[in-house]
Amino acid sequence: MRVVLGVVVVIALLSAYLWWTAHRVQRVHTRAASAGRALDQHLLRRAAAAAVVAERTETVELYAAARLALDAVPGEREAAENDLTRQLASVPLTATDEATRTLVATSRRVVLARQVHTDTVRDALRARRRPVVRVFGLARSYPRPEYFDIVEPVLTDLNVVVAPRAPAAAVEAA
Amino acid sequence: MRIGIVSPYSFDVPGGVQNHIVDLAEALIGLGHEVSVLAPADEDADLPPYVVPAGRAVRFPYNGSVARISFGPVSSARVRRWLSRGEFDVLHVHEPFVLSLSILAVLSSRGPVVATFHTAMTRSRALAAAQGMLQVVMEKITARIAVSEPARKVQVEHLGGGAVEIPNGVAVAKFAHAEPLPGWPGKGGTLGFLGRFTESRKGFPILRTAFVTLARQRPELRLLVAGPGDRDDLYELFPADVRDRVEFLGLVSETDKARMLRSVDIYVAPNTGGESFGMILTEAMSAGTTVAASDLDAFRRVLDGGRAGAIFPNGDAPALTALLAELLDDPARRRELAAAASVAVKAFDWPSVASRVLEVYAAAIEATDGRVMDEEWSEPRPGT
Repeated sequence: MRVVLGVVVVIALLSAYLWWTAHRVQRVHTRAASAGRALDQHLLRRAAAAAVVAERTETVELYAAARLALDAVPGEREAAENDLTRQLASVPLTATDEATRTLVATSRRVVLARQVHTDTVRDALRARRRPVVRVFGLARSYPRPEYFDIVEPVLTDLNVVVAPRAPAAAVEAA
Repeated sequence: MRIGIVSPYSFDVPGGVQNHIVDLAEALIGLGHEVSVLAPADEDADLPPYVVPAGRAVRFPYNGSVARISFGPVSSARVRRWLSRGEFDVLHVHEPFVLSLSILAVLSSRGPVVATFHTAMTRSRALAAAQGMLQVVMEKITARIAVSEPARKVQVEHLGGGAVEIPNGVAVAKFAHAEPLPGWPGKGGTLGFLGRFTESRKGFPILRTAFVTLARQRPELRLLVAGPGDRDDLYELFPADVRDRVEFLGLVSETDKARMLRSVDIYVAPNTGGESFGMILTEAMSAGTTVAASDLDAFRRVLDGGRAGAIFPNGDAPALTALLAELLDDPARRRELAAAASVAVKAFDWPSVASRVLEVYAAAIEATDGRVMDEEWSEPRPGT
């Protein structure tokens, strides 16, 4: 009788642990997928904002890079976004007009979205590597999340925080 | 947005983390958001209206000092009740690896969590014993903020997660409206220095050399020094004929610091290295005081490349002497620099810092439910 009771308790604990682990696995995968969608959206916004600025300032190379980033198919996306980041770095963005401010704001959001995405993907991949997850196939129903491998999309001179210019301009204009 | 902020430490003991939370909460409220702060405190404690007490704090020896925290089943129940009543869009915890309300809140949360790391400690000893628990906490945090480069480095190198660096804000208004000390700055010109004058990287000897030279040419020039240290050690550094024109305040409170900065014509920062941001410069700039600083990268950035304050070559006492002489003789130039400084310092004011934090909130929310948020509140609203 004791043995049976012991087995029941062990099974109950084991299933509770498995249920909890499965929940964690689900959460990190959902999060990685959401973060991926958000990053995609912010990249599109950045490319669109860059295209507007390129048209205003008649910068042909920037416009081309922005168009290529907007039209890129999966697989070419990373290279196109890197090209756009490079173009943005070489264009002086000192103007305080609405289009430039939008571009600066969207670029900052790309930096954040990329960072959150990288962290969530890392968590998901770490969860997939755990023995208990592999043995019980807890991650089988979720596609394997992948890093979006682009260079740090920070604009020179328009750093996220410590550059006085961009935020000061935003405050003045507001 | 509905924002829930958790303070690990009690507000009855002043501290950097607590000040940060109060300033951030007030800036967010100023930007039109709903904020609730959960902190260890007694029910009857005298607290700002947006703070919710989570029960008595107990003394807990931690990291070489004594912190007052709340932890345990009672606190845990209160955290869960606060979370379910608050219906927050985002939960913002501070120092989440300290055994405190923060960790309880992270573990009970269901939505997006943003965590701010203040100190550069690697991890709490209690948690080092439970690596699996650390991973559970890490996994629940959606986005991370570090208030300094060292704190960010710890994130990246030891915990394997990225973090956005957002430094502390400056309470510009507090400095701009402080009352100068009675009798200061006076007519003959006043220089100011704040910091440990015995510490070589603060560069006090450079200022001392410049002051002694200038004081002998200008009979009314005075020097106001504040910071930790011994009065006699300071006066020993000066020759007898100028000694009575040096005033030493010792260690000052935040309020007196603001008054001290308002009491001088030129704030001098002769630091020779080791500064990653230059908080004191932003405070002097807020006080409307002209700044003369060495050309460290951090100082250059804060001073907008020299437009918001005068810059001299690092370690060069004759250059500092010449620069100070020029500034003392030219009040119009001083006013011009101070005016540029009061514009540049807005970037470091709490509303600007809070807007950066809001962008991180948005990134965390987006990563939780995939909906991309509108930009509307990511910049300060008109009229605020």
